[in-house]
Amino acid sequence: MKLDPFEALGVEPAFSLDIAVLEQRHRDLSRALHPDRHASAGAAERRMALGRAIEVNEAFRILKDPIRRAEALLARRGVASGEGKEPPASPALLMEVMERREALAELRHSKDAAALQGLIVEVQQSEQSAQAALGAEFTAESADPAQILKLVAQLRYYRRFLDEAATIADDLL
Amino acid sequence: MLLDIFDPKAPPQAVGIDLGTTNSIVAHVRDGRAVPLTTCDGTPLLPSVVHYGAEGSVQVGRTALAYATREPERTIASVKRFMGRASGDVETTRLGAYKFVPGEAAVVRFDLGKLTPSAVEVSAEILKSLKQSALDQLHQVGGAVITVPAYFDDAQRQATRDAGRLAGLEVLRLLNEPTAAALAYGLEKQQNGLFAVYDLGGGTFDVTILLLEDGVFQVKSTGGDSALGGDDMDREIAERMLAAMGATTPELRTAEVVSIALEAARRAKHALSDASEVSLELPRKGGGDVTFALTRADFDAWVQPLLERTGKACRRALRDAGIEASALSGVILVGGSTRVPRVRSYVNELFGVEPLGDIDPDLVVAYGAAIQADLLARQSDDVLLLDVLPLSLGIETMGGGVDKILPRNTGIPAGAKATFTTYADNQTGFDLHVVQGERELASDCRSLARFKLSGIPPLPAGFARLEVSFNVDENNLLSVKAVELTTGITQSVEVKPSYGLTDDEVEQMLIDALDHGESDFELRRLRDAQVEATRILLATDKAFASDADLLEQAERVRIEQALSALRGAASSATQASLIEGAISALDDATHDWAGRRMNRAIQSAIAGKNLGSVEQSVAHAAGVEAHLAKHGESR
Repeated sequence: MKLDPFEALGVEPAFSLDIAVLEQRHRDLSRALHPDRHASAGAAERRMALGRAIEVNEAFRILKDPIRRAEALLARRGVASGEGKEPPASPALLMEVMERREALAELRHSKDAAALQGLIVEVQQSEQSAQAALGAEFTAESADPAQILKLVAQLRYYRRFLDEAATIADDLL
Repeated sequence: MLLDIFDPKAPPQAVGIDLGTTNSIVAHVRDGRAVPLTTCDGTPLLPSVVHYGAEGSVQVGRTALAYATREPERTIASVKRFMGRASGDVETTRLGAYKFVPGEAAVVRFDLGKLTPSAVEVSAEILKSLKQSALDQLHQVGGAVITVPAYFDDAQRQATRDAGRLAGLEVLRLLNEPTAAALAYGLEKQQNGLFAVYDLGGGTFDVTILLLEDGVFQVKSTGGDSALGGDDMDREIAERMLAAMGATTPELRTAEVVSIALEAARRAKHALSDASEVSLELPRKGGGDVTFALTRADFDAWVQPLLERTGKACRRALRDAGIEASALSGVILVGGSTRVPRVRSYVNELFGVEPLGDIDPDLVVAYGAAIQADLLARQSDDVLLLDVLPLSLGIETMGGGVDKILPRNTGIPAGAKATFTTYADNQTGFDLHVVQGERELASDCRSLARFKLSGIPPLPAGFARLEVSFNVDENNLLSVKAVELTTGITQSVEVKPSYGLTDDEVEQMLIDALDHGESDFELRRLRDAQVEATRILLATDKAFASDADLLEQAERVRIEQALSALRGAASSATQASLIEGAISALDDATHDWAGRRMNRAIQSAIAGKNLGSVEQSVAHAAGVEAHLAKHGESR
């Protein structure tokens, strides 16, 4: 039995979500379910509240993350997702990623914080346009799961790159 | 003279405790305001120092501090630094006067000859003293909220909770110190917005970014260094003093000499908060005195590297929260070390805002803890604290790496599952190593628990499926469960991290500590059961008032029977087990109903606020704007 994050938070399943609305819903549900609200209740109720609060937090975490949100939407459509199911990257994307990786490796050595920040912003922009494309694909009349999986894979490349860049940026802080 | 009239029927008061590295404080809420209670020293601040006399006496606070130079190795200060630490940890080998029981034990023990108390036991002595002070003034104490640095890992949290239990306190909650400080400020000032809490205590540094919005205190990110604080400033000075005193080699740095230097360093640091220069006489090796002078500029330069370490943690916390420093409405200062002028100016430079410090930075955490204790005890709905996991939790992988199961800054309570498989044919056991931290290698992270899941049926490699689930509760305490799901065989192991004490161990230590052992312990268990019964009876009444319509007739009859049985047991039983049995019977009877009530609560939270309440909250928000506009300039 897998958690449906859209159901757990009571929001319409869609890729394009208003994060502010999501945050508000999370707060409202936390008000009802947080263990502190049930601190004086019997053990069964406390356990139940804890379990539900964990579910709500997990659902919130999934929906805030574009990759996991896309996977949850795919799961609702009965499409298996995950790294193994995604098509291999296109040569163009591979080229782009390789070039940026080289740039990142150079910046790691030169310790140029400003240039690093510039590179991060550039990749974040690519990430955002991939997300926009994903949003459009999900709402399209004839949504193509293969195309969706391809975009998810693309997001994953950007995510990994940004995580790595953040670790390097951390040392330069 | 006003007489404090003791009403024996009054409910026991919940207290908040700041168990600090340097000082500890107990506070409670009186007439809606947090106030400190006087400790055995006659002041709100109790030095977190415990002296173990050779003849078996135990003293806490200023009396203990008086022994610091005479019997430094028997006078334990800054014990918080050793909480949850193993004897091999770096922390135990830094400049200090203590001897430790040698070996690679999971729990570090101070070597005092016959006595070898652990950090948990030393902390429990401080808590016992605070509890006694609270009892003297409040007559009854009904549970405590104890604060911990946000950056404390699971081991340090478990150790703190164990110390509370060992002191005979019902630990209602472990609360993060910055969250406590924000609570104290937020409720007093009625502010909304994003805040940073910069908490530099005696031995720990924390930074937390929180969003305050209409009674919800939501932690966005947290970071810090659990081994950085005012003590390090003292060490910076003490190192130079030791050189001036001629104590240049490790052999010359006896416990006594080190302790004299540390004490003088502390005095110099305090003096420099007001004066720009200070000079002290120090004993020189081989007799005579040496004059040691230092200026504030010297001191500022020496502590700069320490401040830069805090700056890095702050920038990282801002980044993790996804905000720029300019988005902050304010910065709250916590901890005695923020009295150092250079710390204040550094924080100002770092965040670009004048930090708030109008609540005493030594007391603000205890105030927040008292407020949270009061809110919990009253079951108030006004305020909700949403905290995060401070450090990532994971499992060691085959190559010695870490598979992160819950990343840092995940909202708590939190849960996650991961599936593993066997790597060899016919493998029947599986070793799991649970670690916490951000480093890539498991050996660089804090080891929380190792356990073996055995009895896996022999299968080809990769066939067995092992599901590991992590649960982190509202106290940020972890429990791990591993289930092996293959040919229908399920095995489950409940682990408790290896440094923690088991419930039985705590019970035994409590029995040993009480004068009359078993009988006192039974009596206490009975009282605890009575308190618990009262609490559950109240909660059930409250549930009846709001959700009786969700009950079926037969169910209602069953619950009412269980209720009256519990009432009877609570008022007449002489054995705790009878009350405990009645509580669990009521629990069973209300189980399904609780589920329906939970669904109703969820539905009504999702159904959202009606138009009226939305307008109200808009009006409220406008009120806050107006309030800020009016008071903004004066900040």
